[in-house]
Amino acid sequence: MILSINDLTVSHGEKTIVDQVSLTIDKGEWFALVGQSGSGKTMLSQAIGQLLGPNLRASGSVSYQGSNILEHPKTEMNQLRGKAISYIFQDYHGSFTPFLTIQQHMDEYLQTHGVKEKKKRKNMIKEAFESVGLDASLVRRYPFQLSGGQLQRVSIALALLLEPDILIADEATTALDSVSAHRILSLLQELQLKTGCAILFITHDWRHVARYANKIAVMKDGKIIESGSKQKLIHQPEHVYTKQLIQAAPTLPMRIKEASKS
Amino acid sequence: MTVMEISNLKKSYTPGKLAVNDVSLSIQQGESLGLVGESGCGKSTLARCLLGVEKIDGGSIIYNNTPLANANRKEFRDYRRNVQTVFQNPTAALNPKLKIKGSLLDPYLQFQRELELEHFTFSSKQGFVEQLLEAVELPKELGDRYPHELSGGQKQRVTIARAISIEPKLIILDEPTASLDVLSQGAVLELLSSLQKMLGMSYLFISHDLAAVYQLCQRIAVMKDGELLDIFQKEDIYDNSRHAYTKELISIF
Repeated sequence: MILSINDLTVSHGEKTIVDQVSLTIDKGEWFALVGQSGSGKTMLSQAIGQLLGPNLRASGSVSYQGSNILEHPKTEMNQLRGKAISYIFQDYHGSFTPFLTIQQHMDEYLQTHGVKEKKKRKNMIKEAFESVGLDASLVRRYPFQLSGGQLQRVSIALALLLEPDILIADEATTALDSVSAHRILSLLQELQLKTGCAILFITHDWRHVARYANKIAVMKDGKIIESGSKQKLIHQPEHVYTKQLIQAAPTLPMRIKEASKS
Repeated sequence: MTVMEISNLKKSYTPGKLAVNDVSLSIQQGESLGLVGESGCGKSTLARCLLGVEKIDGGSIIYNNTPLANANRKEFRDYRRNVQTVFQNPTAALNPKLKIKGSLLDPYLQFQRELELEHFTFSSKQGFVEQLLEAVELPKELGDRYPHELSGGQKQRVTIARAISIEPKLIILDEPTASLDVLSQGAVLELLSSLQKMLGMSYLFISHDLAAVYQLCQRIAVMKDGELLDIFQKEDIYDNSRHAYTKELISIF
């Protein structure tokens, strides 16, 4: 077990957005959190890293290495974020500063986390770039000079730079077309096997998780309504809403045949 | 009957590079033709050429026996009436300062003099708006709201209602479900399919989502790097003669 969430509640004034959610993420697993817009899945993910806005309050506990990280002071959390828990977001343009090159982004990231030697930083950046299948010459470019798929690859390289234990990908492929999304997902899977980091993958599209996830949780109106292994949720969903989600996503006919065979 | 005939269409933004390279397609009356490809393959550029908002650099778009490039004012106006569109982002497609009923009435008021509606009837503005909202399964009170008061799925239904309001021959759907979440996506696809049965127009459905295209369309065309690689009947999707790239796309879903 790498991360354990117990009775996590996120509220905005009187309104409860995430309602007593408990889940555990094991080492090296791909945990998918599926739900519609407004179900609270993003709030849940942001609560983990203390990224919630000032009007939102989180209670309950998120245990990482035996301590409740919700209560960590800011400085400690800053250290943890990136090193132990890192994020990839949906909006790849919003994740980068437009007037810094990719190299500058990565350099800053490493410096903040205490990699002092310039040469070491340079090597790490080069390696990270190669690991996500990007040409090393792209580091000198500005974010807007890269395509969405390329930027999302850079986000992954950044997020995995310090070998975190858990990577939180919040709709990381939603803004991409399905071909680029597929490439990003297989890249994530490959890197996950290599580095052994767990992935909390948040999505509204069932089809993105069907192939990659080990465990799935379905979220609706702030609550986890059903969770379990991928096999169980896809083949024997209990909740009506889970069934709706599965049926709503269009699939090709062969895929259905294949799924029923396995 | 052919609604639109596209032959050897070329469009270039940078010299020496064709965004749309020699694409030929025909769209039959009442059919749904799907156009699939990844970002940057030229599918939206093709749509923009068809809408007449981009000048084409070669080939022709023929509607009603008239090449679009040679159409006179009256013919182009007729074309604009009969070829409607639904875009990916419904928020950008609706005027934020107009109530929903204002947006819905706009095309009818533009074209009312030359328009003969078969399915809808215009007796009063209010009644017409209600018919349209009913057709896209929205509550009729929404006519008095502003776009920002609606959800993404509701807004997309409004843009669909606006597109069908003047009973066009062809609707170009450019990623109409891409900005919606899964449940709304499925519902919008079903709505599009039942509207087609009701009104009989053709669709050109542009999307990167092969499975969504498969659900709605009878024929599927595949584009890559500006070129049309493959076009086939839906039933032949698993045929061995499919282009290698089509097979790659299929393997993703």
